[in-house]
Amino acid sequence: MTTQYSEAYAKLENSLAGSSLSWLSELRTQAKEQFLERGFPRLSDEEWRYSNVSVLDKKAFSPVSDSELGHIDIADLDSYKLADCWTLVLVDGHYSASLSDLDGIADAVIVSSMVDALKNHPEKVKSYLGQAVDLKEAGFKAFNQAWFSDGVFVSVAANTVLDKPLQVLHVVTSAEVLANTHHVIALGTGAEATVIETFIGCAERYATVSVTEVFVEKNAGLSLYKTQLESDKAVHLGGVYVKQARDSRFKHTNFAFGSLLARTDVHTDLSQASECDLNGLYLGVKRQHIDNHTRITHVEPYAISKELYKGVLNDKARGVFQGRVIVAEQAQKTDSDMHNHNLLLSDNAEADTKPQLEIYADDVKCAHGITVGQLDDKSIFALQSRGIDEETARNMLTFAFANEMVNKIKFKPLHEQILTQVLERFPQAGIDKAWL
Amino acid sequence: MSSSAEEIEKVIGQKYKEGFVTEIEVETFEPGLNEDIIARLSAIKGEPEFMLQYRLQAFRHWQTLEEPDWAQLNIDPIDYQAISYYSAPKKDSEKPQSLDEVDPELLDTYKKLGIPLDEQERLAGVAVDAVFDSVSVATTFKGKLKDAGVIFCPISEALQEYPELVKQYLGTVVSEKDNFFASLNAAVFTDGSFVYIPKGVRCPMELSTYFRINAANTGQFERTLIIADDDSHVSYLEGCTAPMRDENQLHAAVVELVAMNNAEIKYSTVQNWYPGDENGVGGIYNFVTKRAECRGDNSKVSWTQVETGSAITWKYPSCVLLGDNSVGEFYSVAVTNNYQQADTGTKMIHIGKNTSSTIISKGISAGKSQNTYRGLVKVAKSAENARNYTQCDSLLVGDTCGAHTFPYVEVKQPSAQVEHEATTSKISEDQLFFCQQRGISAEDAVSMIVNGFCKSVFKELPMEFAVEAQALLGLSLEGSVG
Repeated sequence: MTTQYSEAYAKLENSLAGSSLSWLSELRTQAKEQFLERGFPRLSDEEWRYSNVSVLDKKAFSPVSDSELGHIDIADLDSYKLADCWTLVLVDGHYSASLSDLDGIADAVIVSSMVDALKNHPEKVKSYLGQAVDLKEAGFKAFNQAWFSDGVFVSVAANTVLDKPLQVLHVVTSAEVLANTHHVIALGTGAEATVIETFIGCAERYATVSVTEVFVEKNAGLSLYKTQLESDKAVHLGGVYVKQARDSRFKHTNFAFGSLLARTDVHTDLSQASECDLNGLYLGVKRQHIDNHTRITHVEPYAISKELYKGVLNDKARGVFQGRVIVAEQAQKTDSDMHNHNLLLSDNAEADTKPQLEIYADDVKCAHGITVGQLDDKSIFALQSRGIDEETARNMLTFAFANEMVNKIKFKPLHEQILTQVLERFPQAGIDKAWL
Repeated sequence: MSSSAEEIEKVIGQKYKEGFVTEIEVETFEPGLNEDIIARLSAIKGEPEFMLQYRLQAFRHWQTLEEPDWAQLNIDPIDYQAISYYSAPKKDSEKPQSLDEVDPELLDTYKKLGIPLDEQERLAGVAVDAVFDSVSVATTFKGKLKDAGVIFCPISEALQEYPELVKQYLGTVVSEKDNFFASLNAAVFTDGSFVYIPKGVRCPMELSTYFRINAANTGQFERTLIIADDDSHVSYLEGCTAPMRDENQLHAAVVELVAMNNAEIKYSTVQNWYPGDENGVGGIYNFVTKRAECRGDNSKVSWTQVETGSAITWKYPSCVLLGDNSVGEFYSVAVTNNYQQADTGTKMIHIGKNTSSTIISKGISAGKSQNTYRGLVKVAKSAENARNYTQCDSLLVGDTCGAHTFPYVEVKQPSAQVEHEATTSKISEDQLFFCQQRGISAEDAVSMIVNGFCKSVFKELPMEFAVEAQALLGLSLEGSVG
């Protein structure tokens, strides 16, 4: 059934980014062959054992060309745009210049759509595109690379700081649409940037595939937030693949709230003395299935990795956490710490968690800890004994569990947005936002 | 590194002490596996018809299976047609009735192994059912057990004397279609132990079996079945060794435990199969399926294992907690050295209400070895108030070995509480220095620290085994950490 996509994209070939570049066509062809051979991942692939994505085969989602984009209500979009940000909007997988706001960005920084970047800086893009992903692994990377329509290219020159965060707003406008985008974020030596990826869409069933390749040079630091607020019928496949040079810092914070079926990969390779900090909060209600997959590879010595993912699951929701830490033979003095905590609120919710340590070096400090459970009766009683009714007590404790992750956001407008989302998605009787 | 690095090399290089070959006449099948071989095997053992059918069914299913390759192991392909599936001491026809009749050379072997076979009565009361290659040679303490109503005998004997009992339970925990190695075992198992503890009986002594692979090119396929009826209690010990040979030998065992209402089974293993030499040549391939079913309410099964041998270990002693309030425990120390590879752990399947499980796993890897913990904790929707605590610690010795932790946790019940913790570290120079500064030699200090690291598992072992386990640990690792 993988052929349905190769047929659909054959018609759109000329509207895909960089269709005139031969090196890119070659990359796309390689990826296409890989995808046609393997197809979408199956449950028998170890890294996909908890998430069934066969819906992508069964239902034909359709990619759209940039001439047939759906209509967007600007007022609606504005409620998701963050204040004090540069904004780049992708509609159904295509850049919309009219909705974006990039005027006045410093000259040392390139922020543009992938289509424009391939026109204006093809050599620069070529040196990055496809370098951080391994197409041989099971997943949707080959699919993405074969047919991505557009995306974002961010390049920050050495020793430059992007003065305001960049928000990349992904919007899908109509049912059955497939938005497939590929992004490159490259930070030069000593550069700093904050990027926020926000995913939203209409209230229908649609699919988003998004791959972000990140290159953090020596002593540079990137803070990447992902706010996944897709419709509750959508399918979302996202991946962030990072190459970190020595002394670099990468912080990823993943808020997975939307979608019927969502999966996010965060893979990073750490060079000497680099640091990564991966955080995540997933909230599942109704029949949502949210899968978080992280892989941290300590390639060289002295690197530090920290990871904390928390999940709150209600109704029939299912949350998955798979975290893998690999310490290569040379990576002595590695310090790695991984935690995953799950709160089950209903009889039908499910949590599956699989933290993995693969260690080939001896002088390392590695730990992981996971928990799955419900609210502590003693804590509820403690609140009740102070005159708070049981329902409010439960709400307060659930909120406090999630709020640990929300409080990690340093950027005010984003903090406000996430806080509102958390309170909307979970019972909030008894919690006054003004207290927070 | 410090001077202790040389000591490490020295100690790691220690020879396998159990590696002697007993020159006794053996009757061995020609290598190969087909339905005829299975029929011959079954005929030699004089098994009832249902067993032959069971074996053939398993064999036919096995032919449709492929070897599993998901484990963190590098295995040279195994040629199942190059293995001989039966090897028994020649004097099989006149099976020894008492120790006096046993081939003296065999007894000598046991002495070298340090099994107190002929000193049983004087020692702490361990009844040994020794399995030498594939046929049980001698069973001691039968009389005393019989008085208590306990059946403890080779499974081949049980098939003749208690066929109904065996038929009722065999394959109900690990079916003949369970997995590749379990199917193979079901088709060709030669012997093993059978234990039945009747209602309300507390087994008067600890039961023990010793397995040893002797002949070259033979696989050891033993099958153990232990049934603890209502309100009974049994503690079972199992030890394994094999002589040094250049070829890899295959060992594919199946152990099934059944615990009924309020019954308790404690199963302890010290596995010291030949691990191969320092270049990774030879050694036993150990593929074992061990599973316990806590069928009754308030039942309890406790697995304790000390794994120091085998070139390859593929073993996941598991508990299916069906009965309400049932308890599963898993305590493991796995030591790998040179080119050994171990992929071991447990599965705890919570189905009954208020079930609880504890997993304590300690992995120690040295040399160029790879040591993996792989475990599953599954809480079904019906398992209200299930509780699990898991702790996996790994200790790395030397910078060319690997320690891996792959836990799986699947929870479908909100009132369940599941905790998992894992750490990986090495013995720090500080700890060593601290001990040395107080006049303890580096070697003793390491031994102390490693023993401390494993203490929470060793304390679960019965006395006789704890001593052996500590000695084994010392043999494989003493002074090698630093």
